[in-house]
Amino acid sequence: MKYKDKIIYMEGIITKVEDGAVEIDFKGRLGHIKVPLRMLITDYPLKVGQEVGLNMSFLEVLSPEVNEHYLSTLMRNKRDKEVEK
Amino acid sequence: MSITPETAEKHKNDYAVVCCRTEAGTVIEPDNLEDPAIFADLEDSGLLSIPDNCLKIGEVLGAKLTKTIDSLTPITADIVEGAKALVEEVKEEAKEEVAVEEVVAQPVATVGNAGVLKLHIGEGKDIDIELPLGFVGGAVQSVQPAVVSEAVAGGKVEKEVDEEPKKVRELIKKHYKIDKVEFGPETKIEGTTLYIRENICEEAVKVDPLVKSIKIDIITPDKYNEYSETIMDVQPIATKEGDSKLGTGVTRVLDGVVMVVTGTDENGVQIGEFGSSEGILEENIMWNRPGCPDKGEIFIKTEVVIQEKTNMERRGPLAAHKATDIITQEIRDVLKKLDDSLVVETEVLEQIRRPGKKKVVIVKEIMGQGAMHDNIILPVEPVGVLGGKPNVDLGNVPVAFSPLEVLDGGIHALTCIGPASKENSRHYWREPLVLEALHDPEIDLCGVIFVGSPQINSEKFYVSERLGMMVEALDVDGAIVTTEGFGNNHIDFASHIEQIGMRGIPVVGMSFCAVQGALVVGNEHMKYMVDLNKSEQGIENEVLGCNTLCHEDAIRAIAMLKTAMAGEEVKEAERKWNQNVIDNNTELIEEAYGIKIERVENEQSLPMSQKRKEKYS
Repeated sequence: MKYKDKIIYMEGIITKVEDGAVEIDFKGRLGHIKVPLRMLITDYPLKVGQEVGLNMSFLEVLSPEVNEHYLSTLMRNKRDKEVEK
Repeated sequence: MSITPETAEKHKNDYAVVCCRTEAGTVIEPDNLEDPAIFADLEDSGLLSIPDNCLKIGEVLGAKLTKTIDSLTPITADIVEGAKALVEEVKEEAKEEVAVEEVVAQPVATVGNAGVLKLHIGEGKDIDIELPLGFVGGAVQSVQPAVVSEAVAGGKVEKEVDEEPKKVRELIKKHYKIDKVEFGPETKIEGTTLYIRENICEEAVKVDPLVKSIKIDIITPDKYNEYSETIMDVQPIATKEGDSKLGTGVTRVLDGVVMVVTGTDENGVQIGEFGSSEGILEENIMWNRPGCPDKGEIFIKTEVVIQEKTNMERRGPLAAHKATDIITQEIRDVLKKLDDSLVVETEVLEQIRRPGKKKVVIVKEIMGQGAMHDNIILPVEPVGVLGGKPNVDLGNVPVAFSPLEVLDGGIHALTCIGPASKENSRHYWREPLVLEALHDPEIDLCGVIFVGSPQINSEKFYVSERLGMMVEALDVDGAIVTTEGFGNNHIDFASHIEQIGMRGIPVVGMSFCAVQGALVVGNEHMKYMVDLNKSEQGIENEVLGCNTLCHEDAIRAIAMLKTAMAGEEVKEAERKWNQNVIDNNTELIEEAYGIKIERVENEQSLPMSQKRKEKYS
C-alpha cells in the first residue's frame, strides 16, 4: 500500500444492532460499515444512536485485476437471489 | 509523561529522554524523564530517535542540564554536567548485592549430596554446624533458584513429594470404521457402510420454522474440489452407550466420516458473513487440524438455508445446527445398536490426578457475544444439542469441566467468524492441550474451565473476576488461558490472565495474534504468551482451522508453564510478531527434552486458490 500511514480519526453512529453484528454510519455522510460484534469494544450496552470513534485511513485498490474467486461468489449469491424471486 | 523514582530505578539502564521542555540549569530528576516503555511507539511514529551516545537514566539522575532542550530530546553527554558513569554504578551495585548476602541473619540451609545438612548462620560470627540429615526430619527443604540462560525449555518441574497417581474416572471410546456413505431407504450401518435415509431432510426441516430447506451432500475425497458454502462447524458422529453421561462410561464414534454444517440465508448470504470460507473445499480447509476434517475422510455435509436476514441473529445459526443434529441423531440411534464385533479400536482415556506434582488448570475462553458467537455446553450426546445450555444464556460465567468431558464432545461450538482461528466442535473432541496436559506425568491437571466472552466490557470484567476467584479457590500452581479468534475477546483474555496472575499464579496465555490479531490490551502478568499463528503472513487467511491450537503449541505452552512455575525467567517477547521466536522455542524444547516435535503445515501446502493467489502473493 502506498498511503498506509495516513491515519484519520473518524466518528460514526450505530444505526443497527444485531445479535452478531453492528452497523455504523460514518458522520459527514462518509460511508457505512458493518462489523462483527467481536470487533467492537464497548463499556456500555449497545444501542442505536450511540457514537463510536475509530482510527482509519483511506481505502486503496490494490491492483487493477479482478479477483475471480470473490467475483464468482458474488455472482453466485446474486443469481441465487434472482432464482428465488 | 514523567516517571516515578521507582520506574526510574527499574529502568536505570534504559536511555534518558526528557518528557517536557526542560530549562538549562535543571537538575534532572525522574519527573523530567519520559517512560522508556513507550520509546518503541515514539520511535515508530517518528517523534523520537535515540542517538548512540545517549546517556542512561542511571547516569543522568542528579546531573545538571547545561542547555534548554525541547520535549522528547535524548540527553547526551554534551548537554549535561555531572553525569555519573554507569559502569561504576554497576560495580557499586554489585558490591551492594554481595554485601546484602553477607549480612543475612536468617539461617540458610542447603542439603548437601552426602546427606548432610549444613547450617550457616551469618551475623558476622560464622557458625557452621553439620548434622546428619535425619536429625531435622526433613523439615527444612532447600529451594534453590533455578539458573536461567534460555528463553523457554529446560523447565523441568522440580520433583516434590512423590505420591501415587490417582485415577479419577475413565472414558472408553469405541471406534467403528466407515468407508462408504450412501443414501438408502432407511438409516443403517452395514459393515463399514453407512446408509442415510433419503427423505431424512423432510423431518430435519421441521425442527425450526426458520429452516427453509436442507440438503445433504456426501463428499468423498474425489469431491474435495467442489464448491461449498462457508463451513460453520465440523462435528464427530458419536453417541453415548446406555445411560452414561458425557465424560464417563462408553462413547461410540464413527471413524472416517464427519458431519460438516454449512449454510446460507434465503438471500444466499453466508451464515456468519464476514471472512467466510466458502469456496472449493480443498483450498479452504487446513486438513488434519484438531478441529478440521482429516484428509481422506468422508463428509456428510448439510447445506441449511435459513430465513432471510436471520444469519446474523442468534436464532438463525442455532436453527441450522439443530436441523443438522436431527440427521446426526438418527445416525447416533443406529450407532447405539451396532454390534461390538464391528469395533476396530477401543481407546481408553483416563483422568489421572497426580498429587504432589504441580497443580495446573486450563482455562478456555469461548465466544459469548451472541448469535453464532455461542456454544452449547454439555449436551446429552457428544456434540449434540438436546440438554445443553448455551453459554450466552448462562451469562458466560466460568463453568468447570473434567478433561474427559471436554474430549467427549462437551462443547457444541456455534462459533462462525474467522474460519482460520475458530475452534470447531471437533477441536474440543481432540483438544491437543487437554490431551497433552492429561498425559504429562510432571503436572497434575485438575480440570478445565470454560468461560464465555460477553460483548460489554463490564460483563467481561464480571466473568473475569469470577474466574479469578474460582482459580484462587482451586489453589493451583499454574494456569494456561487460551482463546479462539481475535477481537474484543482479547480484552477479557488479558483480564483473565491478570486475575490469575495477580494471585501470584504463573499463567501462560495462548491466542492467535501474529499481525492481524495483535493484542489490543496488555498487562504486567502477560509475560508468558504462546502465539497460535501458522499462516505465512500472520493473518486470518480464510482457511478453516489454519491458526488454531495444535499439538506443537500445546507442547510449547506446557514447557513455558513449567519454566514459569520453576521460577525461571522467560525472555521478553519481541516488539513485533516474529515467527522465529516460535521456531526457536520449539527447537529449544526439542533439545531440552530430546524429542522431535512435528510441525504442522500451513496454507502453503494447499492447492492455491485464485483468491489467495491474488490477495496474498
